[in-house]
This record gives sequence, C-alpha cells and structure tokens, in this order.
Amino acid sequence: MRLQFVLTEVLNGLRRNLSMVVSVILVTFVSLTFVGAAALMQTQVDKLKGDWYDLVEVSVFLCPDGSTAPTCAEGEATEEQIAELEQVIDTELSTVVEQTYFESKADAFGAFTELYPDGYQGTQLTADDMQASFRLKLVDPEQYQVVDDVLEGRAGVEVVEDQRAVFEPLFVALGRASMLAAGLAGVMLLAAVLLITTTIRLSAVSRRRETGIMRLVGASNLFVQLPFMLEGAIAALIGALLAVGGLWLAVQYLVLDWLQDAVDWVAYVDVGDVLAVAPLLIGIAVLLAVVSSVVTLNRYTRV
Amino acid sequence: MIRFENVSKVYARGARPALDDVSVDVSRGEFVFLVGASGSGKSTFLRLVLREERPTGGRVYVAGRDLSRLSSWKVPSLRRSIGVVFQDFRLLPNKTVHENVAFALQVIGKPRHTISTTVPEVLEMVGLDGKEKRMPHELSGGEQQRVAIARAFVNRPQILLADEPTGNLDPTTSLGIMRLLDRINRTGTTVVMATHDDEIVNEMRKRVVELSTGSVVRDEIDAVYGHRESILPAVGQTPVLDAPGRDAPAVVHRVQVTPEPADLEAERAAEAAAARAAESGDQQPAAALPAAPAVEDRPVDQRPVAQAPVEPVGPPAADRVPEPGSPDDVVQQVLREHERVRAGREA
Ligand SMILES: Nc1ncnc2c1ncn2[C@@H]1O[C@H](COP(=O)(O)OP(=O)(O)OP(=O)(O)O)[C@@H](O)[C@H]1O
Ligand SMILES: [Mg+2]
Repeated sequence: MRLQFVLTEVLNGLRRNLSMVVSVILVTFVSLTFVGAAALMQTQVDKLKGDWYDLVEVSVFLCPDGSTAPTCAEGEATEEQIAELEQVIDTELSTVVEQTYFESKADAFGAFTELYPDGYQGTQLTADDMQASFRLKLVDPEQYQVVDDVLEGRAGVEVVEDQRAVFEPLFVALGRASMLAAGLAGVMLLAAVLLITTTIRLSAVSRRRETGIMRLVGASNLFVQLPFMLEGAIAALIGALLAVGGLWLAVQYLVLDWLQDAVDWVAYVDVGDVLAVAPLLIGIAVLLAVVSSVVTLNRYTRV
Repeated sequence: MIRFENVSKVYARGARPALDDVSVDVSRGEFVFLVGASGSGKSTFLRLVLREERPTGGRVYVAGRDLSRLSSWKVPSLRRSIGVVFQDFRLLPNKTVHENVAFALQVIGKPRHTISTTVPEVLEMVGLDGKEKRMPHELSGGEQQRVAIARAFVNRPQILLADEPTGNLDPTTSLGIMRLLDRINRTGTTVVMATHDDEIVNEMRKRVVELSTGSVVRDEIDAVYGHRESILPAVGQTPVLDAPGRDAPAVVHRVQVTPEPADLEAERAAEAAAARAAESGDQQPAAALPAAPAVEDRPVDQRPVAQAPVEPVGPPAADRVPEPGSPDDVVQQVLREHERVRAGREA
C-alpha cells in the first residue's frame, strides 16, 4: 500500500514537471560525464605509469666509436672503464640503485632485431652500430638526479639519460586534462545542485495542497517528503546512468576501436574501468539529490 | 480533552496578541462553538490545538498531551487523533470523492483492506453513498463539505475541529452539515467549531465560547450567538441612521434560498444511514435537530431552518421584522436606498 502509493505520487510528480525533470537529467548527465572523464584520465595515467614508469630505467650510455662527447675522447669505452663504472654504481650508488643490468652491444642488437626484424628504414645494421649501456632500476624513480651527478662526466660515459623524461610530457598533458575535466565537473555539479533544488521546490510548491492535507491528517515527515526525494533521486540517477553509458561509448569507439588501432603498444582504459567508475558516479548523483532535497524540503514542507 | 491554560499567542513582535491569556477547558464528547468577530482569534485557537502554531505563553493540552513538550516528530501522531474541516473544503481537485477520503488513510500508512472497508462506511454515514466516483467540481458546496467531513472523520479522531464549516453554504445546506457534525458528536467525538453563523448557534443550543480581540468574554452552556452589536462592534449605528429613506415602511426582503435537491438527497441518505446504524447498534438517533427538510411539501418561501422544534430564539427568520434602528433594519434601508438611486439613474 504505502510503497505503491509513494510510487504513484512520484510518477505523478515526474509527469507534472517533465521539462524540469529533463533538465535535471541532462545537467547531471553532463556534469557526471565530466567527473567520469576526469576519473578515467587519471586511471589512464596510472596505467601508463604502471606499465612504463616503473620499468623505464635510467640509461647510462657508454662511449661508442667516434663519439664527439669530451668524455669519449679516448674512443670506445674500454673494459677497465666499464668495470670501474660498475664499481662506482655498486658502492656510491648502492642506496639509490636497486638493480643494475649491463646491455652489451650484442644484447642491444638482439633487442633491436626483435623490434625491427627487417632492418631499420631499409638499412641493415650490425651489432657494431649498437651502443652498450648500463640500465639502472632505481629504488625511487625520482632520484634520477643523484645518478646523473655521480656518473655524468666520468670517462667512458657518453650520456646519462632519464627515460622517464620521454614520457613526462604525456603525463603532464593527461594530468592537466583531467584537472580541467574535474574543474568543469565541479561547475556543472554546482549547476546540478541548484537545478535539483529548484525542481524540488517547484514540485513542493505545486503540491502544497496535498502536502498541507498530509500534514493535517498526520502523515509523518518522511512520508510527506519521500516522494520529492525520490523524484530528485530518480532524475539524478537517470542522469548518472546516461553518463556511464556515454563514457562507455566514448571508451569503446574513441579508445578501444580507434586509438588502440593507431598506437597499440600502450595499455588503455577499457570498459572495465568505466564500470569501476560507475558506482562513484551513481553515488555522487544520489548524494546530490538527497542533499538538495533535504535542504529544500525542510524549508517547504515542514510540519 | 482540550485544555488551554492562560494561553497567549503573539504572531509578530510588538503586534496585538491574537490570543490573550485564554483559559478554556473542553471535556470529552463536548460540542463547543467558538464565536467572535473576524480577527478575534478563533482560527488561532484551532491552530494551537493542531500545533500548527505554538503558544507564546501558557500551556495547551490536547488528548492528554502537553503540546509545549511535544517533540515535533510526535506531532503526526497528535494530528491523527484530530480531524479538521475548513470553510473552503480543501479537497484535492484531481481526485475522486473516494480517493479524497482514502488519501487521508493512505498517507498515514493504513493497509489497503482497512481503507476499502472504512471509506465506503464513512461516505455512507455522510450521505454520499453512490457518489464515490464524482470529482469535487461535480459536487455542490454542501456535498463537498460532506466529503471534507468524511475525510476528517474517516480515521475516527477523538476531536473534530471545524473552522467556519458553513461559511460558504446557504442556510439549509448549513443545517445539513450541522446535523452531520451533531451526529459525529454523538459518537463521542469532541467537536469544536468556529463560526459566524448566529442562526446555527442559536438553534443548536450548545456551549458557546466567545472571543473578542483574543480574550474569552463569554463561556456559556446552552447559549445563543449573542447580540450582533457586541459581536460586530464595527457596525456603528450613528452614521447609517442618517441614511435617507429611513421612514419608508420596513418591509424586509430576506434572501430566500431553495435548497438544492442534491443536498437534500445527501441529507436524507445520511439520515437513513444514521437510522440504520441506530437500529442495528448502540448509537442513538440524532433527534436534537429538525428532520431533513422535505422541500416538496413546503412553500418555497418558507425557510426550513425556521421550522426548528427547539425553541427559536427570535421569531422565525422569514417573517422576522427588524426593530427600527436595529442593525438589520439599517442595512436593509441602505440597500433599498441604493436600489432607489440606481433606478433613478437608469430612468
Ligand atoms: N499567520 C499569521 N501571522 C500574523 N498574524 C496573524 C496570523 N494569523 C492570524 N493573525 C492575526 O491574529 C489575529 C487573529 O486571527 P484569527 O485568524 O485567529 O482570527 P479569526 O477569529 O479566525 O478571524 P476570522 O473570523 O476572520 O477567520 C488577527 O489579528 C490576525 O491578523
Ligand atoms: Mg478564522
């Protein structure tokens, strides 16, 4: 009885201010899409970092034949120089470096042929065209500078390169985009709160007669207010579901079908990530609706 | 059942109090008229009983509850023991008669089977059997008020408050409503009714509490409405006495009302329902008021109201000739004068 009655009231209310309800749905849809996009971009950054950031090492390239770098004046790095560098890494950098891996010219060539079995841009290369290097995995990737200070300028070292620097601009761009989305989401959420508040207020005013009688015959506060709360919550919920659907489509068509084809060596956000964000969006929507209805209703339908 | 102890109510700081040190005690099963001029505080009194307002001073007890100590989440339970009827009926225009009455039970969470048995019962009692599916705009004022009373009474409240329930109705229809309220009173329900209708008060011979600018100036058992001059002090005599045409023969044309067949029918139906209930149960038949006026047997110009078997306070209204100089007379004279002036202009 109660449930059926409340649901009928809710349906009537939704029908009565249809245009307002539609605008609530659209505003929550757009704002939550921004929230979801921000969250997904953050997820993307995390994925890239997980895949690459940790694996990417500091590379200490050793002098090859014919290098113009001042430290390479004596020509190709000798066995002694290599041994000495290894010594330095083991002692002076023992707290910073977690793992050391020496990639000889032959190793580099192996990795190269694996990537480009048919030669690079039509030239067949040999192992002698490769460059030997130390690959260092750091305890804390941020401590690149320490490694650089110690090793840069030593005999036999051509250049110390932080491989993360290659990816840094990408992360910065993604981070900024997700900040931007979050900022827009904030503005849109504010608009959503105001709109939901207005809608509930309109609904409450247009049903003053009903609520007045309800209060006179002794309906409980919750019973009087529940239909309005549900109205707001349902509209917001539909908006949230639309946002989830929109993000799903975006990920499916923009990322998985298109970006993935173009650049396939990166791990992208997928539909699973969208579903992981969904509860957050729905939660925000319900919270918005409940907060705005409690604030409004206490003013307009108080006993 | 209702007890006011030195109750004061001031709406706005610095304003004249709407109620000023009012002490009234209404016992269980009583029927009380609350009379007084506009603005004397009648509605305020009723709102305090409902705890729509809180007193600024004194204490209000209703059905054993001290309303000043009643926390707001217990207010709904208080209101479930009180029914309210208003001058403007306050029905929901988009709901049928049945739905309007059922609404009162639905919103307090009564189960469906209770609703489907009690609503027809109470509709039969108010004489609206067979009109369950009508919308409020398809009913006369009297019938609408019956629906409102059914809605107020369907949960069998201990107290029924009525704020000028006959204010929008003609005298005959009002009488029907009064008979209904009287019948409800006879089931043991305490009834408090605010009204301006002197004829009704005079005929019912119940307790009368008179308010004047927020104070109780009279509280009598078996009382009459009182003198117009004292209740409507604003109708001063001096200025109108000078109205021209004062010496014309005092022929009074009172407004004549032919009762609506529908209202009479409702009244007869309610009467029959009450008789049936009396036959089968313990309820005594409502006899204090005149039987339903049967308009067919009566000359149209005779007001059924005036046929009351209870001793009428004055001469029957239809042939009552106001004493010269009384407010009634003055009003009539002014009206006639207006007529004359208008007729002169048009000629
Ligand atoms: N909500 C309110 N806010 C401020 N003042 C009010 C309010 N309600 C009533 N009043 C004032 O309180 C006084 C009593 O009003 P109340 O409505 O109780 O009179 P009443 O006897 O019911 O009059 P009427 O016969 O016209 O219905 C009036 O002076 C009125 O102006
Ligand atoms: Mg009033």
